Amino acid sequence: MKRERATDPFDLAVETGETSWALETKGMCVDYGAFRAVKDLTMGFEKRQVTAIIGPSGCGKSTALRAFNRMNDLIPGCRTEGQVLFHGADVYAPEVDPVKVRRWIGMVFQKPNPFPKSVRENILWGARINGYSGDEEELVEGSLRQAALWDEVKDKLDKSALALSGGQQQRLCIARAVAVKPEILLMDEPTSALDPISTSRIEDLLEELKARYTIIIVTHNMQQAARVSDRTAFMLLGDLVEYAPTKELFLNPKDGRTENYISGRFG
Amino acid sequence: MHSRIQFMEELSRLHHDILSMGTRVEENLAKALEALRSGDAALADEARAGDGAVDAMQVTIEDRAAVLIATQQPVAGDLRELVTVFKLTEHLERIGDYASHLAKAAKRLAKEPYPRSISPLVAMAELEISMVRDAVAAFLNRDAELARACAARDDEVDASHKAFLEEALDFVRENPDKAQQGMRLIRASAWLERLGDHVTNVCEAVVFMVEGRHVELNE
Repeated sequence: MKRERATDPFDLAVETGETSWALETKGMCVDYGAFRAVKDLTMGFEKRQVTAIIGPSGCGKSTALRAFNRMNDLIPGCRTEGQVLFHGADVYAPEVDPVKVRRWIGMVFQKPNPFPKSVRENILWGARINGYSGDEEELVEGSLRQAALWDEVKDKLDKSALALSGGQQQRLCIARAVAVKPEILLMDEPTSALDPISTSRIEDLLEELKARYTIIIVTHNMQQAARVSDRTAFMLLGDLVEYAPTKELFLNPKDGRTENYISGRFG
Repeated sequence: MHSRIQFMEELSRLHHDILSMGTRVEENLAKALEALRSGDAALADEARAGDGAVDAMQVTIEDRAAVLIATQQPVAGDLRELVTVFKLTEHLERIGDYASHLAKAAKRLAKEPYPRSISPLVAMAELEISMVRDAVAAFLNRDAELARACAARDDEVDASHKAFLEEALDFVRENPDKAQQGMRLIRASAWLERLGDHVTNVCEAVVFMVEGRHVELNE
């Protein structure tokens, strides 16, 4: 099937813009009113890798994550400066529709937040509003399989998503996020509300998902960052202190502040 | 942070036990050396008997270090330190074994005196007693420079071993009927040479712990 050439500048960039990073920030600052929560963040995220952002509460990690797909636009008084480049296009350019940004850069939240609808409807909702016209059953099964949930819910696709366990709900949210075929998945503490077994499932899932998606995960759990990520960024008081391959950062950090934080000397 | 305080206390207890283990190994080696010099069989027996305590200390320290890893999940410098604890205790245990072998050799030598000088063996053992002490001190004080200086002294051990080897082979050539005694002493010299290598390995582990990089100190 021949696809029509995109006319929207952002869609066009996504279609044609080749960059070495999956996502790149240049001098990104995020302010809540007079308070600068993220200061001059310049970093690149490797394609199809898991990058973890760690740091103590209030260091700006979740704020930075939400800035990557313009989720902060929904917060009154929150202002972002600098650039967030996706396929070379700045997601904050005035003509860019944030809904489009979120279609390519999906998000999974701390607390599972399925819609109060059936499992099937949860998957189809995002795809439909993005104009999906393919085989719906195929999309539902494919997305649930990617989220390692299919076997558990294939017989209850029409049951309420709210009847699922917490861990299943979170995987459903991942399935919902991948259903629109994004390139990047942002995860904000995706397992902090889950028990260890569900946590372990999600962590295993990340390893599978990274074959298709670039994953950026914010976590309070340093062992989780060490287990699941390829690269780790350590933030403190809004600054990016250290950004390195995870093995290096956890065995031999270069900055004393990183060492102190990951060793539990503060935070 | 409570767990951090607990971790530091446990680490401090480990340090104390490692110091005890190092001191015990050093004592056994000193007793073996004295037995070698004087032919005192009772001292040689003491040195050998002391090795059981060293082995037991290794198990205790490693168990406690494993529990710390499991319960505190250390990273970075803390993790490197605990990894080094395992290496340190393993090498100290082997050094203790060599001290015990040396004590056994000293007893035999007392029964059948060697007509030539054993001063290179004595020099090696003397030097190694101070090397063991410095290697443990380097670990406890996180002193990479001391570790490097300590490892550098292994060259002197190697030189003494070489000198003794030539001398003992000469003795065997001239006294074929004493070949067994000559071989026993050559073996003792080889143990002391290996002992020095274990100290060097401890020093390398200490540099890794402090600086986070692997170095070869035994070129």
